[in-house]
Amino acid sequence: MFLDLTEEQKLIQDTARDFAKAELEPMAAELDQSDDRTPLMINLKKLAELGFMGLNVKEQYGGTEAGVVAFSVAITEIARACASTAVTLSVNNMVCEVIQAVGNEEQKMAYIPKICSGEYAAGGFGLTESGAGSDPSGMSTQAVKDGDDYILNGSKIFITSAPYAGVFVVWAVTDKDAPKGKGISCFLIEGGTPGLIIGKEEHKMGQHASATNELIFDNCRVPASAMMGRLNDGFRIAVAELTGGRIGIGSLALGVGLAAMDCATRYSTERVQFGQKISNFQALQWMMADGYTELEASRLLLMSAAWRKENGKGFAKEASMAKLFATESANRACYSAMQMLGGYGYTRDYPIERYTRDARITSIYEGTSEIQRLIIAREILRNLT
Amino acid sequence: MKLLVCIKQVPDLESRFKPDAAGVWYNETDLAFRMNEYDEYAVEQAVQLREKLGEGTELTVLSIGPDRVVEAIKKSLAMGCDNAAHIQDQAASAKDPWQIASIIAAYAKDKAFDIIFTGMQSQDRGSAQVGVTIAEQLGFACTTTIVGFDYVDGTITAKRELEGGIKGVVKLKTPALVTCQLGLNVPRYPTLPNIMKAKKKEIVAIPVADLLTEESLTTTASFHPPAKKGGGIVLEGDVADLVEKVIAILKDKTTVLR
Repeated sequence: MFLDLTEEQKLIQDTARDFAKAELEPMAAELDQSDDRTPLMINLKKLAELGFMGLNVKEQYGGTEAGVVAFSVAITEIARACASTAVTLSVNNMVCEVIQAVGNEEQKMAYIPKICSGEYAAGGFGLTESGAGSDPSGMSTQAVKDGDDYILNGSKIFITSAPYAGVFVVWAVTDKDAPKGKGISCFLIEGGTPGLIIGKEEHKMGQHASATNELIFDNCRVPASAMMGRLNDGFRIAVAELTGGRIGIGSLALGVGLAAMDCATRYSTERVQFGQKISNFQALQWMMADGYTELEASRLLLMSAAWRKENGKGFAKEASMAKLFATESANRACYSAMQMLGGYGYTRDYPIERYTRDARITSIYEGTSEIQRLIIAREILRNLT
Repeated sequence: MKLLVCIKQVPDLESRFKPDAAGVWYNETDLAFRMNEYDEYAVEQAVQLREKLGEGTELTVLSIGPDRVVEAIKKSLAMGCDNAAHIQDQAASAKDPWQIASIIAAYAKDKAFDIIFTGMQSQDRGSAQVGVTIAEQLGFACTTTIVGFDYVDGTITAKRELEGGIKGVVKLKTPALVTCQLGLNVPRYPTLPNIMKAKKKEIVAIPVADLLTEESLTTTASFHPPAKKGGGIVLEGDVADLVEKVIAILKDKTTVLR
């Protein structure tokens, strides 16, 4: 068994780390507080030029072909500096991968290179609706055939990068009489298409620099060629592609958790109370020990899931385990880190409060922890019944 | 044209350093390694020249050391070097600058390199001797600590940083060797596609025994952290007394009040 990264994976990790430290970390706090996304756009373009938008995408579509392990370590390094940038990267990679997996050649050539090169700052993943969150098969956005076109009506919520996404993967009901989940199809819709309206931006607790908006379809007409994959096969596509996205979000959470623990541990070796460094106190040592142990376990779970996906093995259970454990661990690490800093941790003088806000969503989006447990249990029981 | 850039892999400065049991090198357990910072400037400058000259120019990167140095070599290849020579040497860290320079000169002597780039010095041993010694052994023109570089028709124009902020400009006919200093350029991040493509570039492995003929001229006798200084003085008592004590100490031990 070999647990080390390859030389290429290490170089990608180093590049991500060096870039994050030099370009992202110095502005992460400001991006969190400001409404101006210009610096984020500049960074996304630079990251695209370095090849971070299509890590597991074939070279012929402008991707890097570096694999899923490289994707995971890159997202972790970026997230150590800026979770908002990392989530944009994760979703962009997921959108590229879904188009690569399901799209026809024309669709692949039309959109993947634009996301990989940074011509499109982002791609959008339009699945969630106000009435269809953990249960996406309950969606109500409809696509009705009209001659050679489809007309979409309805709305989506919580869509990452919506204001600056060049293309959206959108799911809509194409057969409302079909059994649940059997009448949904998947479409590729360009930003700026008439009838596609970017709705209100959510005022989130964290990951502020990454925009999260409503998408409204008001008689949005798209050609039938915008359909991706087979008619009424969309739900299966969504389920399959979300699995890969979980590795991305788990990797992001790991990065935030590590950033919090690193900051708090360093602080504990400088802060003096009762005449000594607070790192001398066992109470803090246990927080460090537990925090880093859980994060290391998260890393190994993520590496296992990523390696399985990269090598064509089943990875649904492993990706859910990794996402569940990494995101919950990151939240605990942030909680402990803030405790270690005491009152200072609760102020904006230190980045812990931002890490804590940024980490909180990770156990909610791309499948809540509860949904991950449901998937894990289903995968375990599937082999017994 | 043929270009050579020599790089060294050194312990990451953020590592925790401990001398090894023999007290002549670092204990490498848990030590992270990366490319010597000055060598990154050398690679970047060599790649920029390679890009400027275009087709017909070949840029080779060379490093001496154990298998781990291949990671630094691959980074250079990903930054834009064409091919690489890995001089395999498990004991490179024990060799003195004369031997290292002799090995590189032995490698380079029949290869007709026009320009050789090196870092100004390494971040670990810091001798700053290897570059100039290679030039001497090969009979190359040489200038050091460059912060500006241009090449036109067989002549290098290099800007050097001198004491007191003075800049010097030197012109060298090729073949020549330059050692590169902070401020010369901003090394690029290797792009991910180039990292993947670097896999296919040739790395020639050469056992050091094929090139090493020289004995060392210097040996490291000891390699140790500085002795711990005594802790600070903690003054206690009444504020008025403390002020007197502080002033007395400042007068006695420092030049602050003189």
